[in-house]
Amino acid sequence: MAAASVASPVPHLPTSTSTSITPASNTSTSTSTSSATSDMAAATSKSSWIALGCEGSANKLGIGLIRHTTTSTTILSNLRHTFISPPGTGFLPKDTALHHRTEFVALARRAIAEAGISPADVDCICFTQGPGMGAPLTSVAIGARTLALLWDKPLVGVNHCVGHIEMGRDVTGADNPVVLYVSGGNSQVIAYAEQRYRIFGETLDIAVGNCLDRFARVLNISNDPAPGYNIEQLAKKGTKLLDLPYVVKGMDCSFSGILASAEALAAQLLQLGPEGAGFTTEDLCFSLQETIFAMLVEITERAMAHVGSSEVLIVGGVGCNERLQDMIASMAKERGGSVFAMDERFCIDNGIMIAHAGLLAYRTGYRTSLEESVCTQRFRTDDVYVEWRD
Amino acid sequence: MAATASEAVVHEFPLPAILTNPASTPPTLITQGAEGRLYKTTYLLPSIPSALKYRPPKPWRHPILDQRLTRHRILSEARILSKCRRDGLRVPDVYALDESAGWLMLEWVQGTPVRVNINQRLGNRTEDIEDDEELKDLMRRIGSAVGKMHSIGIIHGDLTTSNMMLNPPAGKAETDNVSGLEGEVVIIDLGLASGGVHDEDRAVDLYVLERAFGSTHPRAECVFGEVLDAYKKSFKQAGVALKKLEEVRMRGRKRSMLG
Amino acid sequence: MAVETIELQHVPASYRVYIALFRNVKNAAFLHQQLLARNAEFEYAFIDASTIVSRIHLLSAVFKAVNNSVNGALKTPNVHSETVVSLSSSSNIADAYRRFGVSPSTTDLFVVKIVFPTDTNPVPASADAVSKHLTDNVEGDAVPATDDTIETITDVRAVRKSYKLNGLTWLDSIKDELVKRKEIERLVLGGMALRGV
Repeated sequence: MAAASVASPVPHLPTSTSTSITPASNTSTSTSTSSATSDMAAATSKSSWIALGCEGSANKLGIGLIRHTTTSTTILSNLRHTFISPPGTGFLPKDTALHHRTEFVALARRAIAEAGISPADVDCICFTQGPGMGAPLTSVAIGARTLALLWDKPLVGVNHCVGHIEMGRDVTGADNPVVLYVSGGNSQVIAYAEQRYRIFGETLDIAVGNCLDRFARVLNISNDPAPGYNIEQLAKKGTKLLDLPYVVKGMDCSFSGILASAEALAAQLLQLGPEGAGFTTEDLCFSLQETIFAMLVEITERAMAHVGSSEVLIVGGVGCNERLQDMIASMAKERGGSVFAMDERFCIDNGIMIAHAGLLAYRTGYRTSLEESVCTQRFRTDDVYVEWRD
Repeated sequence: MAATASEAVVHEFPLPAILTNPASTPPTLITQGAEGRLYKTTYLLPSIPSALKYRPPKPWRHPILDQRLTRHRILSEARILSKCRRDGLRVPDVYALDESAGWLMLEWVQGTPVRVNINQRLGNRTEDIEDDEELKDLMRRIGSAVGKMHSIGIIHGDLTTSNMMLNPPAGKAETDNVSGLEGEVVIIDLGLASGGVHDEDRAVDLYVLERAFGSTHPRAECVFGEVLDAYKKSFKQAGVALKKLEEVRMRGRKRSMLG
Repeated sequence: MAVETIELQHVPASYRVYIALFRNVKNAAFLHQQLLARNAEFEYAFIDASTIVSRIHLLSAVFKAVNNSVNGALKTPNVHSETVVSLSSSSNIADAYRRFGVSPSTTDLFVVKIVFPTDTNPVPASADAVSKHLTDNVEGDAVPATDDTIETITDVRAVRKSYKLNGLTWLDSIKDELVKRKEIERLVLGGMALRGV
């Protein structure tokens, strides 16, 4: 790996977004090792921290640097490189992992350069420990470990979902929202209670993003920049609502039935053409979106009613969809609340969210030793002990 | 904790047309669930309190989908409540309905949601919860009620401790009971219920309850086993459903495979 | 006065509901005939009182009929026929008339009159006028429509048959007659609300 030769950065300050953040408590559970003690001594007197975050749980490789002070959060750099597979195909773990390995060094260099800092200024190296696809996760973890050893910095393993949530809270200023986390791999409705992000509802089978991606493949819809984005554009021109299964069970929902129906309709469309089938590709995209988003809004609303919250935060790649954002906003407004949606810089997987959540944990004394830095494809959001929140 | 937030809804909504007609006392908005709004009002006479469940049009939904879901759910809930009642399960009585206007008039069940009773009971306690016999007895009543419901072929679809009322014994004022755990468990809000006798569906129903319970009352998770024990004793097929529950749990955890 | 004026919850203020209960009715055949002849003077809901279990039962039917009238959703010619049909737990209209409506052999009779201002009739009939018309035309004893009286009239077996309440073992096993009656009433209300949907 060529990361050793990361050049000292050109001294220029990047344009940065500064947002307020609830001051994290400095109380920490000190570990028994002597190195940790000196670490902690340094931490208690510190008032500014910098973390580098590495994300690669799916087809996006993201590296970003963030600075926390006791009162503010500053994004120093936030870079992403996406692996895009040809239309009709999904991204395979092997190819995605290769992409991440190939791009890691260049992206890390650029991130450091853009941040205008030196590796010595970095307090910790944060990386996505899961959930996600095994091979891509591992590739990025290797990159993170290498940086940690190279620069002699502690590692902090981060739960990908918690990364999304913490970044969302910080960027939007949402204090204690119900979180709708919708991406290619996850569909969860989450609310915080007693030191954990509790999962109130989730998909009982496939994730909503997976449903959209797979549907796009049947119709050969382009994966560039993302299949969901292209479905969204097509849906804007749809008018006819086709009858698709609507499956909500409490705060959970299911998308496999709807995918099967949509695929069957798509096959019909490909075979008969719009005239023969009586509907267009646009209509089908429209119907799919209207139905699955209505389901997502419903489970989100139910969770809000259940926990008595009127704030919603949407995170994850599918959260970029403007139709979904509008629907959630309309629902939240009727409940006397509001929606906090992220723009694509943060909704789509990125390194900053990993750096941010990792740094929150780091500041409470959390470290991931080299031995513990193994990735896990299955890493529940509610497995993380959230020490940095009240 | 957010889950203990007050149920009072500050936001003002236009009343459904039916409630704009004269009544002895003005209707009060009790909850704004995802299912719709629940008003406390009166049916026929000032002496008969009732719950009017109103499913307003949801403007964010496509109108066709919205109408379809509203009609379907009003009728389905009424049918299921009626079936439960006929099969001897204590649920709210159906008084009247208008599926086109989106409302269902139900009996007003006295008492408080079980969630409130459990949280009152727990207070700030962190110890001795697993030895709380009264709490465990309530858990068993929950298990039996769910078992009875499953045994007559109904799947609730949204089992939470908010969707069960603890109906205090006759002669006990509502306020007296909030700190106590006595009374009959009345399953409410069958808006997502369906008919079903498959062990899989029963298991998912239990899984929904188990998770909702865990996230709503994390400290009382240690007594949830009582619910399942009582459930197991409540009907013949219960054991099979519980076996299936183990599978559903595993599957649930597998779901977070991808990021 | 033979009629009682009822104010129902959530019924528009312009609607008036009068009810009357007659026992030992001798001219049911005549009254039945007036309905068949569509005699406008006899725009009433004539209900065989043995099919009714309580005031609430009757008033539920009135409420539903009024609601349909207000919504312009009547399934029958007018709010009175709608009241009779609303008693049924099935959607079969002819069956409902036969089961719950007056028949030549009816001896205990509930009469419901629902009035509201219309273009042709801006000032609807008063309680006095309705009372007089009924006293003049129904040969029977007007009695207060209390639940105690209704209880002595109800043909429980027929009611259980009409609302398909036979074979409910848990209901049969209730020892306390009062409790049982209350349960029957609840089941009847549920059956009516669903009217076969």
